[in-house]
Amino acid sequence: MNFRTKLAILLGKFVCFISTTFRFGAGATWPGEIALRIQPRILQILSENVKHIILVAGTNGKTTTVKMIETILAHQGWMVMHNASGANLDNGIMSAFLKKMKSTYYIFEVDEATLPNILKDLTPEIIVLTNLFRDQLDRYGEVDTIAEKWLVALSGLERQTTIIINADDPHLAFIGSKLAAKVKYFGLEDPSLFLPKMQHATDTIYCPNCGVRLTFAGVYFSHLGKWACGNCSFVPPKEDVTAKDFVSPLEGVYNTYNALAAALTAETLSISKSDIRNALTHFTPAFGRMETVVASGKRIKILLSKNPTGFNESLRTVESSPDKGPVLLVLNDRIPDGRDVSWIWDVDFEYYRNFSNYFVSGDRALDMAVRLKYAGIAAEIISDLTQAIYSLKENEVLWILPTYSAMLDVRKILTGRKIL
Amino acid sequence: MNVKKNHISITIGWLYPELMSTYGDRGNIFVLTKRCEWRGIHVSVLPIDFHSTINNLRSCDLVFGGGAQDRQQGILVDDLREKKGPILKKMFDRGVPGLFVCGAPQLLGHYYMTGDGKKLDGLGIFDMVSKHFGKSKPRCIGNTIGKLPDGKTIVGFENHGGRTYLGKGVKPFAKIIKGCGNNGEDGTEGAIYKNCIATYSHGPFLPKNPHIADWLIAKTLEIKYNKKIPLEPLDDSLEWQAHEAVLQRFT
Repeated sequence: MNFRTKLAILLGKFVCFISTTFRFGAGATWPGEIALRIQPRILQILSENVKHIILVAGTNGKTTTVKMIETILAHQGWMVMHNASGANLDNGIMSAFLKKMKSTYYIFEVDEATLPNILKDLTPEIIVLTNLFRDQLDRYGEVDTIAEKWLVALSGLERQTTIIINADDPHLAFIGSKLAAKVKYFGLEDPSLFLPKMQHATDTIYCPNCGVRLTFAGVYFSHLGKWACGNCSFVPPKEDVTAKDFVSPLEGVYNTYNALAAALTAETLSISKSDIRNALTHFTPAFGRMETVVASGKRIKILLSKNPTGFNESLRTVESSPDKGPVLLVLNDRIPDGRDVSWIWDVDFEYYRNFSNYFVSGDRALDMAVRLKYAGIAAEIISDLTQAIYSLKENEVLWILPTYSAMLDVRKILTGRKIL
Repeated sequence: MNVKKNHISITIGWLYPELMSTYGDRGNIFVLTKRCEWRGIHVSVLPIDFHSTINNLRSCDLVFGGGAQDRQQGILVDDLREKKGPILKKMFDRGVPGLFVCGAPQLLGHYYMTGDGKKLDGLGIFDMVSKHFGKSKPRCIGNTIGKLPDGKTIVGFENHGGRTYLGKGVKPFAKIIKGCGNNGEDGTEGAIYKNCIATYSHGPFLPKNPHIADWLIAKTLEIKYNKKIPLEPLDDSLEWQAHEAVLQRFT
């Protein structure tokens, strides 16, 4: 290890110590950023001696999947380190490395656009691909652009890497069919979870191989479902695990996908089914992902909702939950949310007019109020977020559906602390 | 012709709803539909895609086209240009209103020159051409504000790589105040040909521009029933608050 690398590690660790000791932040991105500026190759150098690196990429479910994998691995008594939720660019991954350099297993959630760059620096043991939906068009570009970049980046991997893919997403299954690496699949295989009809927010309903419209025997949500192409040779892969094998510890169909992805990862690491099932019962949700916070006598349930598919699933979860209460939508348009809020028109609010009350807040509360008006819902605008959260009655359950930066704001108000 | 209010109906033709739908484009359909229904005007929305007949398309009183991703556009462009293009041209020449958002200026013009120099034929309905300058010109992404000839404003969000240059056969839709617009050089945004609007604003353009929605509805009725039918005013205070908020934040 040369002087430059040593200096990068030392300074990175120092920044980490300062920022957590004096509570400037959580040390989730800056330590890594400093280290990368001193030694741009540091990720490559440090990862050379690490045998077990697991990456999780996809539009939705990254944070929860990482936390589920961590729960299962830690239950085995293994030393595990993961990056902070949302700190999923190279500086966040580097920061996690610096925080705990003696771990055996490193699990990183990776931003969709960052995955190809990270793969230039390190060779993971496992990569999990959760799903691909429209999300932050202004930042990521189109779904197909991401898929093409992934295919190129993943094509360079060989048999020492296992790629774990959601078989119900036709575009991801297509990527899987083209790879030299080992590929394993998870899927629901549970027709009882089919939606009565297809949602509007779908991205891959035309065959990624030949361009002809796919047929769906049923959809679970968006374009995830039991698909088939009647025109070409591209057929759905056989799943290695399905919803019959494991039960999700969290509500919501999307959490079943997360649990299956985590379980298949654990199986690949030779953990037994019974150990996986046992560990999952000890799972607690990540920040803002179906998290429950109790504040001044009220139960507040936070469901991060940052793109049409995630939002539809949040609304479906609220509707099917025994907990009834008002719904507060917090829409921001800051950089981590995407500056463009057009996507709210792809959310199917029309099916959820019966909730007791809708409140809206955030930078773009007016845009959300207009969206709801055209869905036949009269929402009350409360500009002040603190007031919005605390104006509720005692013993009421409040559902909060925030975008990413709004979720951080909500948590700060509720806990008095920043998480990033 | 004596037109009774409860007999008024329009058909909105929605071009390839599954493929020309990238980011909230259907908001425009929702707004047109609701603003008609609130006034007692009956609306049918007719998807126009590969299986549609010439008569299906001809039966439309108003045409909407959203944005398509590259792969999706590749799937539909031949069908649109060859099977629908000539009929659309006749309809627009007759005065049938249309709204095209997102990459529409690139699709409706004579051609679109890609970043690597390939010339793709457009529908040739609008007298304009588009060009992608590759990496030498950045993508135009952000909130936009434009001014119409009557002094009213429009607000939107643009996200496009190509630049469009208007010919003499079309008028600019608006003068760009904030954002890039057609090309970032001549201050124009979008284009208007007869009663058909093409704008670089993408996704849900009409929700925060109710005056444009009502202009389209009024023109649709005028062409269909061959006379001006006044529209009942609606309470648009929420829509205008959202419009004003964009004006205040971004100027």
